[in-house]
Amino acid sequence: MDGFFYLILAVGLISTVICAAAGIMKKAPNDATLLSVVAVEAALVVYLVGSIIRVIAGESIAGEAWEFWGYLVTAMLLPPAAVYWSILERTRWSNFVLAAVGVTALVMAARMNQIWY
Amino acid sequence: MEEARNVKNQHAQPAAAPGNTRNTGPGRLLIAVYAIFAISATARAGYQILTKFSEAPAAYLLSAFAALVYAVATVSLAKAGKTWFKVSVAAVLVELVGVLVVGALSIFDSVAFPHETVWSLFGRGYGFIPLVLPVLGLVWLYRRRPSR
Repeated sequence: MDGFFYLILAVGLISTVICAAAGIMKKAPNDATLLSVVAVEAALVVYLVGSIIRVIAGESIAGEAWEFWGYLVTAMLLPPAAVYWSILERTRWSNFVLAAVGVTALVMAARMNQIWY
Repeated sequence: MEEARNVKNQHAQPAAAPGNTRNTGPGRLLIAVYAIFAISATARAGYQILTKFSEAPAAYLLSAFAALVYAVATVSLAKAGKTWFKVSVAAVLVELVGVLVVGALSIFDSVAFPHETVWSLFGRGYGFIPLVLPVLGLVWLYRRRPSR
């Protein structure tokens, strides 16, 4: 597990906790929950840029390269999709949808780490 | 609907078709989780079939079948109407039977099921969500069953 994974782990868990807590408190999606999901996307962008730099610098991916990039691109699609959905229906349940983004991203980051090494 | 009273819907009423009560509230969370599983199961099955199909054709075809079930469940839960309700019930029931049968077989007959699928070991590789999801799905569908 590398620094990128721990970054996603931290940001993803914080985002999930914020969103789930807001959902439990029966709040509709607000700035805190939406921004926490934006932070997950930002962390994934860092992972993307970092990975591109590593490949250019000569590091090679141990597993299937296209599988790694596939995971990364799919993970990056989740936050925008969840935010779009939560805007369509602004109820507490949308916060639980937002909460799913953080954990999913961290599970995918763990898998991406396995592929890389 | 309890949550509709708790959360003040300022102006954004659900974009759902009139009369469809399955794709709002908790149903949205359910659809989201099903969608994640549909995507990940499809990707995994596609990867397995494209790269190492000959190793375990049965297991990988089962992966593909599971992916199809999740995709059908996702779409049908999001659609309005009694027909889609029936499709949802069928998909979720197939999912429940699938995870129970494959889960049991993967434990008692690990020789025949040595390769991982979403449903192996009752979905342990996916935090047992595949086992919990159909139960929640059936509860949700029962509570929002169309009135005759």
